[in-house]
Parts: sequence; structure tokens; C-alpha cells
Amino acid sequence: MTLVAASAVPSAKAARAWRARPGLMIAGALAFCAIVYLLPMLSLFGWAFQGPAGTGASLAQLSRLIGDDTYHYAFFTTFKIAAITTLICAMIGYPYAYLMATTGPRLAMLLTAAVMIPFWTSVLARSLAWMILLGRKGIVNEWLTGWGLLERPAALLFNSIGVQIGMVHVLLPFMVLPIWSILSRLDPGLPRAARSLGASPAAAFIHVTLPLSLPGLAAGATLVFMFAIGFYITPALLGGPNDLTIASLIEMVVRDLLDWPFGAMLSLALLGLVALVFACGAAFAGAGRIAGMEGR
Amino acid sequence: MSLSSASPQPRINAGRSALWLLAGLTMLFLLAPIAVIIVVSFNDTTLFSFPPSRWSLRWYHALWESRAWREAGWLSLWLASLVALASLLIGVPAAYGLAKGRFPGRRLAEALLISPMVVPVIVLALGLYMLFSKLGLIGTPTSLFLAHTLLALPVVIVIVGAAFRRLDGSIELAARSCGASFPRAFWHIVLPAVRPALISAGAFAFLTSFDEVVLTLFLGGPRTTTLPKKIWESVKFELDPSLTAVSTILIIVSIAALLLVEVARRSRIQRQAKEAL
Repeated sequence: MTLVAASAVPSAKAARAWRARPGLMIAGALAFCAIVYLLPMLSLFGWAFQGPAGTGASLAQLSRLIGDDTYHYAFFTTFKIAAITTLICAMIGYPYAYLMATTGPRLAMLLTAAVMIPFWTSVLARSLAWMILLGRKGIVNEWLTGWGLLERPAALLFNSIGVQIGMVHVLLPFMVLPIWSILSRLDPGLPRAARSLGASPAAAFIHVTLPLSLPGLAAGATLVFMFAIGFYITPALLGGPNDLTIASLIEMVVRDLLDWPFGAMLSLALLGLVALVFACGAAFAGAGRIAGMEGR
Repeated sequence: MSLSSASPQPRINAGRSALWLLAGLTMLFLLAPIAVIIVVSFNDTTLFSFPPSRWSLRWYHALWESRAWREAGWLSLWLASLVALASLLIGVPAAYGLAKGRFPGRRLAEALLISPMVVPVIVLALGLYMLFSKLGLIGTPTSLFLAHTLLALPVVIVIVGAAFRRLDGSIELAARSCGASFPRAFWHIVLPAVRPALISAGAFAFLTSFDEVVLTLFLGGPRTTTLPKKIWESVKFELDPSLTAVSTILIIVSIAALLLVEVARRSRIQRQAKEAL
């Protein structure tokens, strides 16, 4: 830097302009999002609260949503699927992430690849794979009956079992990655210190490692639950008529009944729920931790 | 993992073994469907038998012979390439602005630009349908291009933004103080320094579009049949073995993209190691 002439030393004004310049670089993305994102989202409000004749505001769609048990049932089903998916993902995702963070580089690489490959593989292709595996004449049933473990093929597809298997498969990486992220940055000296002070391995884990990794677990649970309540493809392909989720309901209302105002109202309700889950998660784990993992 | 005879050691190893057993089963669960669909696609029969009793490429051949599948493949490829390009073009400057800029409303802008990622796709589909039907875009490739770019943009911003945040700002200041204009310093110094992130972002933006189903179903028409849309329509009709071949192609494209990202990341690490020597 000593080679630089004095004229290159920026004045205070130039420095300010220099810092403001990056701000202008977001203009393109903002303009794009304003038209292709904000405008459509706002038009949903317009449709949902439109009066019957197309003029004035009305709460008719909202009262339909609140008044009908069919819709309550779809919300209940969606929450049930999301809750079970989150629970299973946490139970198998935490130990997996723990090994990923604590094992040697080669095995860690293998464990990471096993998460990343499905993560970036088409959800449609994976759902199709589960259809082939879980069908009545599918590979799992053929093998289980062939080995004598089952007398008759079990119903694993087009019901809530199929949905749960598919959902856990799609959303497990969203649980593993944030937990791994926090565990891999954890100072390994901390549990070791607890051990050297006489704590058993289990006690060191429960009192030191686990509490320190809770924000990662919370971020993972938030992501899984949030994506689970809005998911469309997997329940639509692997579920049966009793597994009507909010997303499938929206599709049905719009495509079969052509009832756009009510579809818009259901969409707003779903959007509100997602925002609520995000807010709860952000309060616990911090918005940045959740947002950082959205990038996969 | 040493064979130590000290008494606490075996207990740790037992716990560790249980963990590995669980992890092994999880890996099986994660990878089995992908492996199975790849293997089944090389079946010679119309049944989905596993392992196949006879191997053949007949389903790939059937795909290649079908004009509809070929056209769907080309459309998917074109669309995903354009989406990757467009989302890099507007996403990279935005990521830089968000990472390095100090201006009022920065956090709000960041939240807005990343949030399409968490909005359920079905909700986006509904909103976009309303907008695009007013503009007469429903059923055109343009509508898919715009919608897919909306999904790919946050992917680019998150990945490239993280790289810009890690980047040492002094190399850029050095270029500037040596007389480089801002665009020159950005193009010749800043962008090459984050090249692995640009490659990942481009690859993942490509995959985001290449695998997208829901927006394509809602906003597309007969003229915009991409591979996932055609798979979806066929699955709803009948589980045809050629679908396993298309799925295998989608899976291979994903794995190729991941390998590209990994190679870019490693070459960077190697170069840094050489420079350090």
C-alpha cells in the first residue's frame, strides 16, 4: 500500500459514495421481485377479500374457511403430517449429523454425500422410486412376503404411511444440515473438559453438547415443519384420499372447482401459517440460522 | 477406535457402534430409492423387478424414439440454462450489494429477496397464475422462465452472498486504489475470487429449474411440456417403465451438477494450498 500515491486515499465523501454503490447493485433483483413476486402475492389478497360482484371488500371467503369442517380436516391432516415428519427427522437426523461432525474427514464425506445426493435429486423422481418400492406388488412387499416376514402384502402406498416415508426422505437433509453446521463448529474441548472433570460420556453429551446444539435442532425443526405444511408433490403422489393436505386442497379448489377467490383465501391462510412457524423458529434459533440453511 | 483395554473405552465404542448402525440404516434409506430406480430402469421387462432378471436399454431406446420425450428434454435443458444465466445476472450483483453494502433497508431487501424460498410453491403458483393470465403469458415458455428465475434467484443470492461475506475486502480496495474503476475491479478481481461459488450457484439454479414441477403444471400448457411435467402427467395415468429411465436421467444430471460443484471447490482449495507454499 505504500506504493499508492496520496491522491488514491479516498476522501470521506468518496468513501460514502463507495459504500452506497453496492446498494444500487440490488436494484435489478428488487425490480424483478417487485413484479414477479410482490405483485402476485398482493393480488392474492385482492382475490381473497373481493366482494361477490367483483367490487368492494368482503369477508365471505374467510367465513367459508372458518365455517366448514372439511377445511378444518385438511388443516388438521397437514399439521399431523408435518409434526410426525419433524419428529422422525429430528430422531434420525440428530445422530446422523452428530456422526458427520465428529468422525474423520473421509467418513464425513461419505455421510455428507449420502445427504446431498438425494437433496439435489428431483423430488418427482424420488417419489416415483417410492411408488415402485412401496406398491402392493412393489419391491419391499415382494421381499417381505418372500422372506416370510409378512403373510400378505402390506398397504404401504396411497395412505399416510407412504406420505410419511416420502416426506421424511425429502425433508431429512433440512434437519441434518443445520445441526451438522452447529456441531462441526463446536469446540471439541468442551465435552472433553466435562469428561476430564468426571462426567460420563452420556452426561457430557446431555449437559454440554446437546444444549449447545439446540439452536441447530430448532433451525432444522423449523425448516422441516415449514416446508412440510406447504408441500404438494409427495402427498399428492404417495397419499390416498384421506391424506388431503392444504396444498392439495388449494389445487383441487382451483383446478376442479375453478373457485379462485377461495383458493386465494386458502393460500393466504397457508402463507400465514408458514410465517407463524418461521417467526416461532426465528425467536428460538435466530432468523439468520434458518435463512442460512435455506440455500441448501 | 483403538483396541484399548481401559474399562471406559469399550462402552464408548458400543455407543459409537450403535450410532454407526443407525447412520448406516439412514444412508440406506436415503440412497436406496435412488439406486433402485436407476437399476430398475435397465430392466428388460415391463415389470419393475429388482434386481432385473434381464438387462437392457430398451426403455432408454423408447425414450429416444419418442418425439414427445425428446422435445420435453430439449425444452427442460434450454429453460434451465436460461434460468441459470438470468438468475446469475441479476442475483450476483444483488448478493454483492447485500453482502458489502451499508444502506438503509438492507435487511428488509435481503428478507424480500430470499423469502420466495420459503413461500409454499403452490401459493406462488396461484399468485403467478393470476398475474400471468392478465398478461396473456399462461402456457408460454416465458411464464416458466420468469417463475423458475424467481425460485432460482434466492439460491444464487444465498450461495454467492456467503462467498462475498467470506471474501477479504482488501484485495478489492487494493485494485481500486491502483486505479481500477469499480466495474473493472468487480469483473477482474472480485468475481474470479468467488468463482467456485458462481459455479455452485449456477449449477443449483439450473437444477432448481430442471426439476421444477408445480409452477410448470400451473403456468404451463401443451406447448410447455418439460420433462418433470411429462413425468407427472404420465404417473397420474399409468406407471410406465420408461418413466424410470427419465427419472434416471434426472438423477444423473443432479449427480453431475454436484460433482461439478465439488471439483470447483477442490481446485480452489488446491490452488490456495499452492499459493500458501
